[in-house]
Amino acid sequence: MRHRSLVVSLLAVLLLTLASCGGAVSVSPSPSVAASPFPATLVDFQNRSVTVPARPERLVSIGPSITAFLFALGAGPRVVGVDDFSDEPAEAATREHVGGIKVNFEKVVALKPDLVFSVKFSDGTIEKLQSASLNVLVVDPQSVSDVAKTATLLGKAVGADGETLARGIQQRVDIIKTKIATTTSRPRVYHEIDASDPAKIFTVGPGSYINDLIEIAGGANVAARASSAYPQLSAEEILRSDPEIIVLAADAYSSKPADVVARPGWSIIAAVKGNRIFTIDPNLINRPGPRVGEAAEAYAKLVHPELFR
Amino acid sequence: MRTLSILGLLVAALLVSAVAGILVGAVAIEPGDVLAALLGSNDVNGTIIRELRLPRVLGAALVGGSLATAGALLQGLLRNPLADPFVTGTSAGATLAAVLAIVLGLAAPLVPLASFAGALVTVTLVWRLARLGGGTTVLTVLLAGVVLTSFAGAVVTFLLVSSDRLALQLRAVLGWLQGGVSVISWPELGVAAVIVAVGLGFALVLAHRVDAYAFGEDTAATLGVDPDRTTTAVLGATALLSGAAVALAGLVGFVGLVVPHALRFLIGATHRRLVPASFLAGAAALVLADLGSRTLIAPAELPVGAITGLIGAPFFLALLMRSRRIVV
Repeated sequence: MRHRSLVVSLLAVLLLTLASCGGAVSVSPSPSVAASPFPATLVDFQNRSVTVPARPERLVSIGPSITAFLFALGAGPRVVGVDDFSDEPAEAATREHVGGIKVNFEKVVALKPDLVFSVKFSDGTIEKLQSASLNVLVVDPQSVSDVAKTATLLGKAVGADGETLARGIQQRVDIIKTKIATTTSRPRVYHEIDASDPAKIFTVGPGSYINDLIEIAGGANVAARASSAYPQLSAEEILRSDPEIIVLAADAYSSKPADVVARPGWSIIAAVKGNRIFTIDPNLINRPGPRVGEAAEAYAKLVHPELFR
Repeated sequence: MRTLSILGLLVAALLVSAVAGILVGAVAIEPGDVLAALLGSNDVNGTIIRELRLPRVLGAALVGGSLATAGALLQGLLRNPLADPFVTGTSAGATLAAVLAIVLGLAAPLVPLASFAGALVTVTLVWRLARLGGGTTVLTVLLAGVVLTSFAGAVVTFLLVSSDRLALQLRAVLGWLQGGVSVISWPELGVAAVIVAVGLGFALVLAHRVDAYAFGEDTAATLGVDPDRTTTAVLGATALLSGAAVALAGLVGFVGLVVPHALRFLIGATHRRLVPASFLAGAAALVLADLGSRTLIAPAELPVGAITGLIGAPFFLALLMRSRRIVV
């Protein structure tokens, strides 16, 4: 049984990694500029050089944030297959599904894509796709700064204007940053990922997308100096760090604010005393995608409500 | 006299390990501040000590003591040195019942009761199975335990996996199954303490009857011990103790096996001495194991069951190899 919970924790981490992506900002896609940009030689997120010989017409996207980007770039009609988690925009979910944590290779091949986009996999999925003679571009945004890079790269890959999308995204983030710059207050934020093991709760540390969002939103992550992107904290450490704001995921599996209040000893935490325990849409903040501006704003409203009236 | 001094030593060992368990934790707190916290200081250290560490140490003591006492009773009743709540599947049965209670949405205080009922059903089942074909052999008991443990484990797995789809709140169960004694609230501790006190009381009263069992049921009967009533009472006490332990800490293995066994070398097989000694030694052992679980690979934390398994499993194998009662 212990074994099982380990498997489930691993699954949760996998899901998190895979679900780290997605969303749609409506930046009107301009039709491809200049003379034909193809063939294009691109460097992907694994530093591999990938050549796209002609404008790809059948796209498969494995990673919700990639899907969101492709639709935001106006390449939605060319997307023929997506992973099971791709649900943004809603239209994306109507495409053929090619699997989730485990990719269904036969389905991908049967869709005859001329370009496959995928997040990183450590189980040989990418290599297996390549050995099926598929052209694979690895795109795996993990931070806010990766988002603009992703927009540009995907724009080049599908022959759309990624630069404009990237600028639009950056502008929305900059608006939040400008607002936050007007205050020096940096409330301590504790962001909970998973409290299945109440002794060692998963939170976000440096190098994670949510840590970036907290920073942009003008908060001070209590685990900002942790040694990994998803560190585990004990209840003792959380009590000692005394967060002023607690943020939980608004889904069926996560703890509710009432659960947090009821935890032994947590009543002395500033956020609990001040009744500042919030929930946030996990899809919005887990996926480094075109909705990053919206995500930063949603987070900033929790941390600095006084600036967003 | 010798027994008294050993009991005294065990009390001292329990106190020392409890003090160590309260002094050491995820965040460093000066011994002076710990003392102030215990005396009621009104700051974050006070809360950490009183709400997190103290219940944890007391919980570990209750769980270890209960498992060791239940182990001593089972070993006496089955006349078998390789029995304990974990090996016989009693803990697994209690786990299954507790998980069922959570799935059915029973109120939190009912969970320990459910796990007691689960323990009672399994321990009775093991007793019946072990008596098939006359005397109890190591083999039947162990086989019964293996079968019941895998069955209960399979049902728990089924419930956990299928309930993900039903969106039942079973994350909490996962945490509890692996969590050991990590987070225990005072109300939970209170309920468990009452159950353990009753179980331990029964165990102490029944100890001399279990001694009569050492010579077989027939001899016990000639010594004026009613075998059926005694068996029922002992099984009930075992179920109370292991049910409370499981409700608090999930599956913790081998404490119930190793502790009474080791004590037999020190103070002999008389249950009047073995029962209280097992409780004290089991309590101290699990408090130490829990201390190890949070310091060995700090800042990460091992489930306490991993520590007891690490130490207990080789011990169990050694016993198994030395046992002359294996009938194949």
